[in-house]
Amino acid sequence: MTATAQPSRIRVQPSFVRYQYETAYDEMFSAPGVPREHYQALHRTLLGMPQEELLKRQQAADLTFLHEGITFTVYGSKEGTEKIFPNDLVPRIIPSIEWAKIEKGLTQRLTALNMFLRDIYHEGRILSEGLIPRELVYSCKHFRREMRGLNVPRDTYVSICGTDLVRLPDGSFAVLEDNLRVPSGVSYMLANRKVLKRVFPTMFRDYGVWPVDHYPQALLATLRSLTPENCQYRQDPTTILLTPGVSNSAYFEHTFLAQQMGIELVEGRDLLVHDNVVYMRTTAGLRRVDVIYRRVDDDFLDPLCFRPDSILGVPGLFNAYRAGNVTLANAIGTGVADDKAVYAYVPEIIKFYLNEEAILPNVPTFLMTNGKHRNHVLQNLEKMVVKAVGESGGYGMLIGPHSTAQQREEFRARVLAEPRNYIAQPTLSLSCAPCLIDGEVESRHIDLRPYILMGEKVTLVPGGLTRVALRKGSLVVNSSQGGGSKDTWVLREGNGEDRVAKITSFERKAG
Amino acid sequence: MAYSVRHITRFRYEPAVRESVMEVRLQPRTDMRQRCLSFSLDVTPRANIMVYRDFFGNAVHHFDIPGQHEVVEVAAQAIVEVLPPTPSLATYACDWEELDERVAEGDYWEMLLPSHFARPTELLEKLRAELKLRRQGNPLELLQELNTELYESFEYAPNTTKVDSPIDDALEARRGVCQDFAHIMIALVRQLKIPCRYVSGYLYHEDKVKDRSPAGATHAWVEAYLGEMGWVAFDPTNNLPGCERHIRVAVGRDYADVPPTRGVYKGEAASELSVLVSVAPIDAPEPEELPPVMVIRSKPLNSASSLALDHQQQQQQQQ
Repeated sequence: MTATAQPSRIRVQPSFVRYQYETAYDEMFSAPGVPREHYQALHRTLLGMPQEELLKRQQAADLTFLHEGITFTVYGSKEGTEKIFPNDLVPRIIPSIEWAKIEKGLTQRLTALNMFLRDIYHEGRILSEGLIPRELVYSCKHFRREMRGLNVPRDTYVSICGTDLVRLPDGSFAVLEDNLRVPSGVSYMLANRKVLKRVFPTMFRDYGVWPVDHYPQALLATLRSLTPENCQYRQDPTTILLTPGVSNSAYFEHTFLAQQMGIELVEGRDLLVHDNVVYMRTTAGLRRVDVIYRRVDDDFLDPLCFRPDSILGVPGLFNAYRAGNVTLANAIGTGVADDKAVYAYVPEIIKFYLNEEAILPNVPTFLMTNGKHRNHVLQNLEKMVVKAVGESGGYGMLIGPHSTAQQREEFRARVLAEPRNYIAQPTLSLSCAPCLIDGEVESRHIDLRPYILMGEKVTLVPGGLTRVALRKGSLVVNSSQGGGSKDTWVLREGNGEDRVAKITSFERKAG
Repeated sequence: MAYSVRHITRFRYEPAVRESVMEVRLQPRTDMRQRCLSFSLDVTPRANIMVYRDFFGNAVHHFDIPGQHEVVEVAAQAIVEVLPPTPSLATYACDWEELDERVAEGDYWEMLLPSHFARPTELLEKLRAELKLRRQGNPLELLQELNTELYESFEYAPNTTKVDSPIDDALEARRGVCQDFAHIMIALVRQLKIPCRYVSGYLYHEDKVKDRSPAGATHAWVEAYLGEMGWVAFDPTNNLPGCERHIRVAVGRDYADVPPTRGVYKGEAASELSVLVSVAPIDAPEPEELPPVMVIRSKPLNSASSLALDHQQQQQQQQ
């Protein structure tokens, strides 16, 4: 519905009349009507821009997404499963000082998680010292005993990570979950930026935003820095992207990243293993492969070693990997570190390996294997978010406040039947940010997924994917559950205050 | 006692297939109870054989055959010396408290948690109630009794279950082969919170003893961790304790961890698997008659589009 379709409406500029101030942290306003310093310029631009103009720009942005085929797939829905990824025009702005803390915190966290993975697949110090129950690790369905004693290049198990952060009501960031297997969404971060730069070119320039466009090159450099030692005599290691194929929800991203990095996009059937070496079938014959950026889950990688019914994998791949003739990024078996029950132990993991306090805290988490926790949660189900430990993408979870009595009963039974498979967290009020909804600015809940690369060095592209729960009042930001995204601007310095004057003059010109 | 073991596995495909990739666990273990004195593996068509040790310490040989082929033959030959069991073992038998302490100290979770085949089911629970299985007496005696009870409650019947049958099939029919006996015992023992594992290997059949499991096949039994006694073997198929006739090849949580052969290939074909196993004392004369060959056939898959897919090779059930 557009403003022009409603002749009764007098106002031509977007307003904040429908903007709701909630108890949650508000990204834009410190008090009703009072924008935070780094949002002032944006606030003024929004107020100063005719509504028609905004709608036009939103349409232009939507068209770009459509033309570029930026889509995702929703599983389990009967009608067309491929959808345009909804994008919101109003950028989310993070001052440099806040970003500095996020950067430090995530680097610390990923360093510790990599040390944890190395440890549990080798000596198991943290297990023998009793900090983490052995049973918790061994009963994790993503624990790969095949990885025991196996060394990976640079001891880096997770080289590509996407960590979900939320902002708590007091304004501090906390980690909601780690995605250490095959995190996706980075292409939307890049697409959002490309579109925003086109839609708000002047404001973008004047705000002084860190670029994110170098992500594909940083990813390629990270992958190449993990070339196996056996192949280091090779001047130009062959790096490829292994995709499950067109029916995968992130296929668009696979094609996009492969094209941006200038590497081959292959499926399992394009590869073969001979004498412990991986080859790619090309029109010019077989070509040796050194590094595989795999977007296929562990279970499906090698029918000889893992699920025998997998048709997406490469038979013998694990043996080539074990022999050190090929690198897989991420390594196999990283899922044990993003298991939601192991997540509860991450602050202790950081303390154990780095002897530091976690810079970014966890959100409180109840383990259902703990009888006390379980009783507390089952008595307060309507206030809790219950999650299956091995799932991602918002599947298999119960949002207490938005659930029906029947759903709660169902989860109660599930938790009691398999306590190891569930954790619970108090319902968090994610922070709110302004979004353009039908030509008006409204507030919606958001989170943040920055992407961290770890190879020779750690690279955090400043920004990330800000996911938006587009349904009013909803707390679920997953794209598979009706979420969208918006561009994330990390400011180069200060908080944008010094640039306000400049942008005011731009508005006058534009107006 | 030293044995000479021959184990020949042959896959025949009609029409030819390509890109076979195989892993085999055929080399007898060398540990406190036995020594593998020699081992050789021959593969036809010729292939480069590589080897690694898996996470349970088993030797795994693997190879691939890229070109078209109608036959894959894997011939393993080993000389193994099995040491006699220590007679005074039972004096180390521990009580439950000691056992629990030992288990808590070490890293035995893998063999306590449910695994692919050895997992609790309703039928297993029924059997447990029927056998009135619970912690009592001392652990060693309890498991010895359980070994006998399983032998008596189940009929040994080849071809009633398949290589990938869940234990419920055998539990329902009350019959099966050694693989089923082992999985059922493992699942029951783990419920008593005693670590228990699957052993794949061979049983030497003496003429004077009537074993239920046949000669000419691989065999499987279980080992339970009983504190100071270490891993103690039980063979519920034949109502035997572990003895000098058991030759151990591989240990794992259950069959899924240690199949003698496992492979995939590309191509659509009818396949035939034949297995020949012979176990003889090293000083015995070469037998004039080889034991019978076990043959399993499969029908080809019908879908034409499956040509490019990886098919699972047939596996040999442990008898």
